[in-house]
Amino acid sequence: MRTRWIPILWLCLIGNTLMAQNILDHMMNGSEQGRQLLEVLSEIADEEQASIFFLPRWIDGIQINKSYSSKSLGFMLEELFENTELDAVLMYPKVLVLIKDPTKDIQRREALISALMQGKKVETYEFGEPGSSSNQEVLIEGEIIDWTTGEELPFATVSVNDSLMSTASNDQGKFSLKLLAGSYVLRFNFLDYTEKVVDLHAFDNGKIYVELEKESTQLDEVVVQGERTQDLTKSKIGRTYLNVRDIKLAPAFLGEVDLVKQVQTLPGVTTVGEAATGFNVRGGSVDQNLILYDGMPVFNSSHVFGFLTTFIPEAVNDVSFYKGGIPANYGGRASSVLDIKSKDGDLNRWNANIGIGMITSKAMVDGPLKEGKTAMAASLRSTYSNWLVNAIRTDYADLSDSKVNFYDATLKLTHLVSDDTKLSFTGYSSKDAFSLEGDTTYRWHNLQVSVRLDHQFTPQLGSDFTLGHTVYGYNVDNEDPRQASRLSYQINLTSFQSAFHLDKAEHKLDFGWQLTHYRFQPGKLEPTSGNSNAANITMDNQYSIESAFYLNDEWELNDKLRLEGGLRVPMFFSFGPAEVFTYELGEVKQVSTITDTLSYKGGKLIKAYFGLEPRLSVNWEFASEASLKIGYNRIYQFLHLVTNTAAVTPVDIWQPSGYYFRPQRADQISAGLFKDFRDKAYGLSTEVFYKFIENQIDFKDGARLILNNHLETELLQGKGEAYGVETSVFKNQGKLTGSLSYTYSRSFRTIAGASTSESINKGERYPSSYDQPHIVNLGWKLAMSKRHFFTGNFTYHTGRPVTIPLAVFGYDNNSVAYFSGRNQYRIPDYHRLDLALVVEGNHNKRKKWKGTWVFSIYNAYARKNPYTIFFRTSRAGVPEPYQLSIVGTILPSVSYNLKLN
Amino acid sequence: MIFGCVQPIEFDVPPAESLVIVEGYISDQDEEYTVTISRAIPLSADSLKQPPVENATVRLYDDENNIEDFQEVSPGVYKTGGAIQGQVGKSYHIRIELEDGTIYESEPDLMKPVGNVEEIRYEFEARTEEQNFVNARKDVFNVYIDSDAGPGFGNYVRWRFKGTYRIVTNPELKVEVLPWSDLPRPIPRDCSGFRIAGHPSGSGYILVQERDCTCCECFVTQYEKAPQLSDDLLIADKQFNNVKVGEVAINNITFYDKYLVEVEQMSMTQTAFEFFKLIRIQKTEASNIFQPPSGELIGNVFPVNSDDRVLGLFWATATSKKTRFIQKSDIPYQLTPTETIPESCTVFFDHSTTVQPESWN
Repeated sequence: MRTRWIPILWLCLIGNTLMAQNILDHMMNGSEQGRQLLEVLSEIADEEQASIFFLPRWIDGIQINKSYSSKSLGFMLEELFENTELDAVLMYPKVLVLIKDPTKDIQRREALISALMQGKKVETYEFGEPGSSSNQEVLIEGEIIDWTTGEELPFATVSVNDSLMSTASNDQGKFSLKLLAGSYVLRFNFLDYTEKVVDLHAFDNGKIYVELEKESTQLDEVVVQGERTQDLTKSKIGRTYLNVRDIKLAPAFLGEVDLVKQVQTLPGVTTVGEAATGFNVRGGSVDQNLILYDGMPVFNSSHVFGFLTTFIPEAVNDVSFYKGGIPANYGGRASSVLDIKSKDGDLNRWNANIGIGMITSKAMVDGPLKEGKTAMAASLRSTYSNWLVNAIRTDYADLSDSKVNFYDATLKLTHLVSDDTKLSFTGYSSKDAFSLEGDTTYRWHNLQVSVRLDHQFTPQLGSDFTLGHTVYGYNVDNEDPRQASRLSYQINLTSFQSAFHLDKAEHKLDFGWQLTHYRFQPGKLEPTSGNSNAANITMDNQYSIESAFYLNDEWELNDKLRLEGGLRVPMFFSFGPAEVFTYELGEVKQVSTITDTLSYKGGKLIKAYFGLEPRLSVNWEFASEASLKIGYNRIYQFLHLVTNTAAVTPVDIWQPSGYYFRPQRADQISAGLFKDFRDKAYGLSTEVFYKFIENQIDFKDGARLILNNHLETELLQGKGEAYGVETSVFKNQGKLTGSLSYTYSRSFRTIAGASTSESINKGERYPSSYDQPHIVNLGWKLAMSKRHFFTGNFTYHTGRPVTIPLAVFGYDNNSVAYFSGRNQYRIPDYHRLDLALVVEGNHNKRKKWKGTWVFSIYNAYARKNPYTIFFRTSRAGVPEPYQLSIVGTILPSVSYNLKLN
Repeated sequence: MIFGCVQPIEFDVPPAESLVIVEGYISDQDEEYTVTISRAIPLSADSLKQPPVENATVRLYDDENNIEDFQEVSPGVYKTGGAIQGQVGKSYHIRIELEDGTIYESEPDLMKPVGNVEEIRYEFEARTEEQNFVNARKDVFNVYIDSDAGPGFGNYVRWRFKGTYRIVTNPELKVEVLPWSDLPRPIPRDCSGFRIAGHPSGSGYILVQERDCTCCECFVTQYEKAPQLSDDLLIADKQFNNVKVGEVAINNITFYDKYLVEVEQMSMTQTAFEFFKLIRIQKTEASNIFQPPSGELIGNVFPVNSDDRVLGLFWATATSKKTRFIQKSDIPYQLTPTETIPESCTVFFDHSTTVQPESWN
């Protein structure tokens, strides 16, 4: 090392006379006080006739502030050089060399050279002058934002001199670094963005604004960094950050890029079948996932019974997914959090993006309304026709003559009020209509509006406030004139959330308060024509309030150990007006055992629940690029999705906790080992978890759920339990990147009531509908050139448990099917291979438009995977199971995306 | 493009025949009690012909150590001889020993008191149904009852609905069409009492009646499609009011003559009730094609000395019965005359008998 150091120094030679035996023993006399070191040294060199070698600018500005009278020169230098990179080395008794630890300089130089060689932009920041401040340590704060939209980029990585140290921006895009005064090369990375290099000369505290630019011409660079820019060893347990660009490159069902489908490929995440709505996380049910779109909950995230999800990837900025170690600012759902943040409009220029697929087309436009100040982004997607379902040609007539229609639209407005204040508005709407053959049409809709104010009080204290309203509902229209009717269901919620973020030394504190008011219209049936026989039934509205306080602290004890602890205090109130039935004690709850009706007036409290939810996550880097992580969380869930099918249908009911239904309580502990290899070129992770759920809800056999004002007679609560191990290997660099994961996990329930009819499977433990022990996922991306990618994924999972009829017999002159116990059989295993070829347009940034072709093959070897089983009446008059494969053959598709600047 | 598909799904299930089915009850009526033992059949079976389990030893016990053996009266059908008569307040169970030594036993089931059916009412309802693009009449009489819930045990009540109508057919007019002749050849059923007396050339056949017809007049029984139960009914002052217990289809067969409605109110324990409730759910709930509304039937018959699969319910019930006729004249319009049915009525109609029910007149 030293040999490489010497050539870059300009050495000064001062003096050549000889006086003392060892120059470091030279006694100071006090005259040095208040003078520059440089001056004093040359005086000593003269006096001692010694040679002192050093680079003047190293010690330029070092002043001797006190008297070292009767102390040695060695002592003085040691004290002056403390906490600097300087040192004094005696080569000969009369030859002293001042050296500077060269490591940082070399690293900096190498980093700078490599950045320049790669054609990276390098920006220079200078804070203070060398020696201008007595501060040996400087604080560099900064913010990482999108160059085009001005939007902050959370969890971007910041590395100092490549390997010296690294950190990440927080969820507001802010970061801070404590450095010894000196020069450094900083690299800023974010998924999908060009790396930015900063040549930093930090001799005083300072602020850096880093703008990263999307869609690099250096495409291969981005691909190499891939999804794993968030490095494995540093990220929090249970959290995955989804890369929107990777999502776009993955093979897609009918060429429709889908966010939730991407979530389904993560370890620990399963789905009950192809095109099934939602996803299941670590053996949890679909309703246990909190899906947030700009902070507001989404109740039904699917189009066409789950063929597609309601989010357009182009309108999404970032997606965080948590399945364990969930921080305290999230709550209300027991299993996972999918936090989707929409994209802000570009503050400087207009962009448009048009996508043409086989079943939908979409358009997205964004740009400045007032340059640099106000921006908008809007998107719209719609189906062409009923092509999709009409193509599902089955013997089962109910699907083949179906009609489908949907759209979704988003609008986002952002306004920079000042440097510290941002105001944004999000609007989101989606509608679906799906009609089975004949007279029944299912319609469902989401509408969401929210306003958010971001304000930074001080560089350390930031905040955001969100006020929003969500409406979710569905109608089932029967158009048969004799029974023309509409069944409708609706949830209205209004929510206010305030969140504060405080950075204080090693602590990052998040705290806040969330309040949500719900109004449920649990069911309404009305005749829709004059001669309809349909009844007119309106069920009473249900009202509740959910509130939570939380405090979360991310504490970086040292380089190796990070702790995140939090506490959330949720409260839930169910209140009137309402009527509640009471039942004979000790008897099965059924209408004939009703003893009384309790009436609650408007606003009167029916039941209140409150809980304490501790959260903890620990990340210990016990060796280089290796870490051990532990997470624990407790979460209460107050809303229950009531369903008697494994796959969610749009007519399922959300039932709030109240007089009879206690909140679900989930406790999860997870632990994992993570290791990066060869400078993060490879990664290995393995995680184990155990989850226990109290008050898990399940339905009685044959439960009647729709338009039922005494659901307590149809539903049971018991225990849920899930455990498993998830292992993944990653290859993050090179032309071929990808990951392979294997999960073994189980999910059980035990519902043991006072009698057989209040128990399931006689109170014995049974597998939940999401118990899929073996899951394998393989995904890869091969960059054949800068613009051509061959991507693919393979997925395998054990078939899910089902309840089936086993035999038939006559009873009372009727044929009766003998059913198995709940979930005692399994549908066949599911496996599928998808391939895609992505051809991106010219990457020249000056070009006004850029097109991308995606050719994909879904189900490449034509496996007939069962989507679900369904039942037909057999000749003996009982249900007989069949399997319905929605995609029983190879399904090629092509889509084209056009991006205009 | 075809990409969806439907195919039968195979599960590795135990053979249906390995499941033994036991059906039977004891009532408080002075009658022979019946237990049938059979084997289940696969889902794909064409008809409900279950293999009977023959030569079993079936024994009835009460909670006072009285015992009576059942006798096999036809394959798989076992009846008592009247030594034990069911009484409210007593518990009953049976023990079955198959030829191969397998023993099944039912859990003792308590006979609970029952209330009375106080009134049967019916009400005409006009309905239509589209058939071949034409709206066809599918009118019904809805049958309602009022009843007293019984002394404190109204939570678990079943109403067994049975309807009987009379029909007359013409088995002597049965013919077969011969390929070489334009003229159908009569093949009068033996039971019609007619025979072909001659076939003069150039003319038709001559039929003569030699005996009375024994298969021309039948009484056909219609059973309920599912058990009617009290769980979703409100009890007001120990009364069940306006409970719909059945429907009678109105057509020129069911109303060839008049229609006899019989409603039996039956008491039972929760065990039996849950068993019937699951059957009712299976037969009546709007079926979701993705999830049939049902679960595992449990019953109260369990194996004693093996792990054999058995499903059965032997229950005790106190019953009270009421009947009522619906007259043809209650139909607010004229039915078209019944078409001639050239077949023995016992062959043509399921659940039919030529024996006139006691309560017919």
